[in-house]
Amino acid sequence: MKHLQLPKSLKVRIGLAGLGMFILLTIIGPWIAPYDPNYTGFAQNASPSWNHLLGTTIQGQDVLSQLLIGCRSTMVVSFIAGFLATIISIVIGVASGYVGGKADEGLSVLSNVFLAIPGLPLLIVLNSYLPAGQQTNPLVIGSVIALTGWAWGARVLRAQTLSLRDRDFVEAARIIGEKRVRIMFGEIGPNLLPILTSSLLFTILYAVGVYTTLAFLGLTNVSTWNWGTMLYWAQSNNAGLAGEWWWVGPPGIMIALIGTSLALINFGIDEFINPRLRAGGVSAKLRRASGAPRRPRLGLTPVLHKSTEAGSR
Amino acid sequence: MSQVETGKTLLEAKALSRHFIVKGDGGFFSKRKSIAAVEGADVALRAGKILAVVGESGSGKSVLARLLSRIVSPTSGELVLNGETVDLKTQRDLAYASQVQLVLQDPFAAMNPVRRVGHSLERPLSIHGVPEDEISARAHEILESVSLTPPQQFLDRYPHELSGGQLQRINIARALAVKPKVLLADEPISMLDVSVRLGILNLLRSLCDDKNLAIMYITHDIASARYIADEVVVMYAGQIVERSNDTSLINSPQHPYTQLLIASVPDPTKLGAEVVKAPSGGAAAFNLNGCRFSPRCSQALAMCATNEPPMVEVAPGQHAKCWLHASDAQRASVTISNKSKNEMESKNV
Amino acid sequence: MTDKTILEVQNFDVDYGYGDAAVRAVSDVSFTLGASKVLGVAGESGSGKSTLVYGLTRLLREPGVIVGGEVKFHLDGEGEFDILSASEEEIRKIRWSHISIVLQSALSALNPLRRIGREFDEVLRVHDANLSKEQRRERSEELLALVGLRPDRLRRFPHELSGGQRQRIMIAMALALRPELVIMDEPTTALDVVTQREIVSELAELRRQLGFAMIFITHDLSLLVELADDIMVMYAGQIVERAPAKELHDAPRHPYTLGLMNSFPPLHGERTELEGIPGSPPDLKALPTGCPFSPRCAFAMDKCRQERPPLVLEAGTEHSVACWLHDSSYQGAVPVELSKRLAKNSGGAQ
Repeated sequence: MKHLQLPKSLKVRIGLAGLGMFILLTIIGPWIAPYDPNYTGFAQNASPSWNHLLGTTIQGQDVLSQLLIGCRSTMVVSFIAGFLATIISIVIGVASGYVGGKADEGLSVLSNVFLAIPGLPLLIVLNSYLPAGQQTNPLVIGSVIALTGWAWGARVLRAQTLSLRDRDFVEAARIIGEKRVRIMFGEIGPNLLPILTSSLLFTILYAVGVYTTLAFLGLTNVSTWNWGTMLYWAQSNNAGLAGEWWWVGPPGIMIALIGTSLALINFGIDEFINPRLRAGGVSAKLRRASGAPRRPRLGLTPVLHKSTEAGSR
Repeated sequence: MSQVETGKTLLEAKALSRHFIVKGDGGFFSKRKSIAAVEGADVALRAGKILAVVGESGSGKSVLARLLSRIVSPTSGELVLNGETVDLKTQRDLAYASQVQLVLQDPFAAMNPVRRVGHSLERPLSIHGVPEDEISARAHEILESVSLTPPQQFLDRYPHELSGGQLQRINIARALAVKPKVLLADEPISMLDVSVRLGILNLLRSLCDDKNLAIMYITHDIASARYIADEVVVMYAGQIVERSNDTSLINSPQHPYTQLLIASVPDPTKLGAEVVKAPSGGAAAFNLNGCRFSPRCSQALAMCATNEPPMVEVAPGQHAKCWLHASDAQRASVTISNKSKNEMESKNV
Repeated sequence: MTDKTILEVQNFDVDYGYGDAAVRAVSDVSFTLGASKVLGVAGESGSGKSTLVYGLTRLLREPGVIVGGEVKFHLDGEGEFDILSASEEEIRKIRWSHISIVLQSALSALNPLRRIGREFDEVLRVHDANLSKEQRRERSEELLALVGLRPDRLRRFPHELSGGQRQRIMIAMALALRPELVIMDEPTTALDVVTQREIVSELAELRRQLGFAMIFITHDLSLLVELADDIMVMYAGQIVERAPAKELHDAPRHPYTLGLMNSFPPLHGERTELEGIPGSPPDLKALPTGCPFSPRCAFAMDKCRQERPPLVLEAGTEHSVACWLHDSSYQGAVPVELSKRLAKNSGGAQ
């Protein structure tokens, strides 16, 4: 995109900053972790101190190291799952929406089935069928999570494609002689970017939640460090009851933070992607500065008396 | 490219009809009924000539354009392109698209809003086999032919950054990119500002004259039809009700609907003239058995409600589908057949 | 029907946006409207015609803001009403009972989930709490009859009616409380020409019966010539010409008005090539200095590009025009097309 510029909205900037931080941690996490997360030689159940910024677990492991290392696993799996699910939902959703007819009916049934099946139990079942060696492979786990998470996105994309299909520019493309696949992905596709991005962000969030839950339930390999595993160990050692907030709290907070970042980005994504909206709307700051009411009421257009400088501006 | 000789029929429609099945008025369980969006249309598009199709919304004029461009397939009838009957059972192919093109009404809606104009203009060139290295030059050339200079400035823009008039020129340019012989324009100026409309009409006229295109100009504005058309056809409720080989039907309309249409156009030079009032209801209230306009016609005869009128010559080169202008013999035969039908029915009761 | 003035507008300015990002959509508009008169407002995109009337009634949406001028209504029983300084309560009292508005697209103005009868009932109930439900229904049927619709239409949903019928309903609703001023924003633009003709003649009949004044906005100048008493032509948010309808048609003074009229191909008479107006409608964010029409004007002079001409009333007439060609300072000859034409047939572009 030629005119790439930083979005103006503060919310989006904060969200992007948050996401950036997590991506950074994903990359450098294992390097900056102060200790080996598996090492059990430290003082047990120690509350936060300078040596152990987030304290230690009941087995004497450093919480911060676990958190930082766990970040990578969680993020990688979630992103893989998010992207895979989105790709599946694009293919199924757009094709079903554009082609219509029997194909649409069949694919819709498929989406509805996957939508109706409860995700977590399905995941648990699928997970248990995985050969032991594959359970730690992020690609495999990511794919499995993607399999349960694509259906909602597909429905949304199908609905959007259906509405775009009747637009004049699609008809114009057909008149010119454009082939179906090119129309789907070359003409309709770019118009789906806002919804797609939103769908992607939410699917990643979904994946974070699901992966963490799986780990929390002890269904993934508990020797791989991720936030869910931390919670698993904390829970099985009753850390919450014992008041060991430094062990229970941080994983949950991290999840909340990544979720917030993704949600904040979602707010402003439309403006960024749609070239028509880039021109920007009315800034609340400007409105306040000129003295107009914060929320103009319908039917009561604000009246400001300024010195009128008619003519060119 | 060799010029086609002026006046040669390039695309012809014979008895073209398109029916749609819709649900009846009675709610969920109502019977489905068939609505004839276009019925029995005969049109001929000739090189270097502009045919105007005048009608209101619901008259079927837009469906006719889509039938001729084969975006929509007819339920019956024939299409003849360059003298060869078109096989309507197969899908529209690239060859047809390269001969017959369609320009749509809303210039903003007809362009992909998230792609630059250059992309929308270069796609047809690419699809129809223009070599990669020539595409840019050709795009510039086409924009110049519709008076958009400097071309590069327009190619780099997004549709929303341009005005309606400019975009419509680009739409026309896009249609011309494939070098078609026939150009169908569905209300190309209705959504434009008044002051730019003539520019587009003049453009269509000059393109027609320069390239010997056959142009079908669809409109609800009969005055604009008179401005650029060589031949005029008036549609009502899916049928052609009046036609002429020149614009004479505008000066002396013979079909009651055409008369109503022309009397309704605001004409500042006829201030204070008596206004013809017809019962309201619009095209939806038409009669399927006889003449479709009869419920609203102030001059309707008894047979208009029960028998569909024939297309009758009312003046040299001008035809109207109306019982008022049918010969006495034609009317008499209908009266006789109606009578015998009634007699038979009453006998059977 | 007296010579009373019911609306006075002085130096009215409307912006879209605030501060440095503001775009002037209506600039220094002044005019008056007499009781029971029809004022036609003609213009294209960017002319500000819709913004003007929505601003006048404080119905302009975000980010519209009124930044200058005075708007005074003179209403029966209310005296002088300054709408720009009135409170919401006061505005609500006069809205619909004295001033009503018919929007461009009835389909978007009517709630698609409500039957027509319910819409009428609501309007009547909100403005006159004294009416019983039965009385409201009677009144609704009266109103429908007024615009030529059968009472059974009350039970329909908007989508079950044709465009013309919906527009008639909007008109009936606008007349529900017998207002003195009805504003119509392109009411017939989306309708076919036959329906338009019907509605326009019905409006004429209604005006004869009820005597309300009307502001009629449209881009169709030829329609206004038939319908309006006075016509105001707007361009880039400014009034460029105002005159009685027939006079505007016979002898336009502003080059834009002339160009606009020449943009309507005639239905009768000689078939000649017309030009319309070269160029594109103005971009309000980037107006040129001086007269906003100068880039497209065939008669533009240097002064036109430097200074914006004021709207000047020609002495002894009701014809105002904002053009340097007609200003007393201009010494040269006024082009033939823009000077007084005594007979329509005396040459010139038409």
